[in-house]
Amino acid sequence: MSEFFQTLQADFIKCFITKDRWKLIWDGLGSTLQITLFACLMGIAIGLVVAVIRSTYDKNGKEMRNGAAKALLSVVNWICNVYLTVIRGTPVVVQLMIMYYIVFASSRNSVMIAVVAFGINSGAYVAEIFRSGIMSIDQGQFEAGRSLGFGYISTMLYIVFPQAFKSVLPTLANEFIVLLKETSVAGYVAIQDLTKGGDIIRGATYETFMPLLTVAAIYLILVIFFTRLVSILERRLRNSER
Amino acid sequence: MNDNVIIRTENLCKYYGEKIHALEMVNAEIKKGEVVVVIGPSGSGKSTFLRSLNLLETATSGKVYFEGVDITDPKVNINIHRQKMGMVFQQFNLFPHMTVLKNLTLAPMKLKGMKAEKAEELALRMLDKVGLKDRANAYPSQLSGGQKQRVAIVRALCMNPEVMLFDEPTSALDPEMVGEVLQVMKDLAKEGMTMVVVTHEMGFAKEVADRVIFMAEGAIIEEGTPDEIFSNPGDERTQGFLKSVLNV
Ligand SMILES: Nc1ncnc2c1ncn2[C@@H]1O[C@H](COP(=O)(O)OP(=O)(O)OP(=O)(O)O)[C@@H](O)[C@H]1O
Ligand SMILES: [Mg+2]
Repeated sequence: MSEFFQTLQADFIKCFITKDRWKLIWDGLGSTLQITLFACLMGIAIGLVVAVIRSTYDKNGKEMRNGAAKALLSVVNWICNVYLTVIRGTPVVVQLMIMYYIVFASSRNSVMIAVVAFGINSGAYVAEIFRSGIMSIDQGQFEAGRSLGFGYISTMLYIVFPQAFKSVLPTLANEFIVLLKETSVAGYVAIQDLTKGGDIIRGATYETFMPLLTVAAIYLILVIFFTRLVSILERRLRNSER
Repeated sequence: MNDNVIIRTENLCKYYGEKIHALEMVNAEIKKGEVVVVIGPSGSGKSTFLRSLNLLETATSGKVYFEGVDITDPKVNINIHRQKMGMVFQQFNLFPHMTVLKNLTLAPMKLKGMKAEKAEELALRMLDKVGLKDRANAYPSQLSGGQKQRVAIVRALCMNPEVMLFDEPTSALDPEMVGEVLQVMKDLAKEGMTMVVVTHEMGFAKEVADRVIFMAEGAIIEEGTPDEIFSNPGDERTQGFLKSVLNV
């Protein structure tokens, strides 16, 4: 038994202490969190805009008077649909590589590229989550806002969004936990994220067990942590409505 | 045009597709300080009429004048005019994510730029009038139906409207709560508020209305004082309707 622990200790030293290899994990974790956080914010921003356009079209498109506003809304809605179809119909790794090798071929700021790629990707999923949230809010809420004199946007902002957000929060949180794990393909475009960090150690030490399980454990801890965080937040939000 | 007329509709029509004529050439006038009760069988277009007055429903054709302005004109900023037309819904439509107080202060603060303290002071004073001052910090889900509807009325009143529109405000309430809401409306009428009320409460119509409008099949069939309509209805559809609602 003690022999086992001795090998374990030796492996540990080889994988993480020698040549300060722990830094690969640490820096990789930093990149992973950075990419996830900013892609998440970007996804929310894109998702919100697309969701508003799509639900506006769904609710009012057919009733609107013909004219410039209706034409514009139709076109923008069509663009949103194309975006959703393309993004959800292709693998995120391919999107990432297209960003890296084609769109931003001249830039070597690979973390920024990953943020943009994952942000655009998650925006498509977030948009549909937000849209379902907006559509789930009773039309009467909207009418109450409008009847007080709030415009379309203000009604959305003060009345519909807060309720929609609350109702989609669990789904939304889940989407970001998925995103956190999805960023593990960032290594495809020379980004040293958490996964890549572990993989570099594996290549350098010929150890598989230690680096890969460490990486897996870190993802797991992160996911459990964020899941907890969300359930606390959810409980808070629920309490504020009784 | 008469200065006293606050709302006037002109040949108002609302069609859903080809077949459903929810409103058919409705011409109506609401005068300042007047309480107008709209009655009629289900599907006769009462809600559509009421909701057309503040453009929650956009008419297929025809015009709505509010304080002399044609608000059906697309160039008009309807939001400004809606601030002066309070509306109360059958389903209350309070904002569930806000306390009663927030429900009441949101519009005055955001739309009229009222300071928080002033808006709260106003809200509390209005709440007090309907006997709900102590529920200011409650959430709508903690209130009874009757309380919710009283709050909804106060929410509209906090914008200091020129006219109040009610769409069956007591129809979603348990019978024992109807009275408290009608009482608030009666008080409001007494204070001189201009009101358009769609309701099945014939007692309220008789007692409070200055004028009763009877609608059927999307049109105004007849209108007159409660006395004229209830004691001496001219049209046989009015007679049939009154018979059916007064005898149950
Ligand atoms: N969105 C809609 N689409 C199609 N038809 C509609 C729509 N809204 C209302 N209608 C129709 O228009 C007519 C008038 O409806 P309205 O709701 O104004 O009647 P009402 O007098 O308020 O009835 P109730 O007493 O049941 O509330 C009805 O025949 C109704 O079915
Ligand atoms: Mg109705």
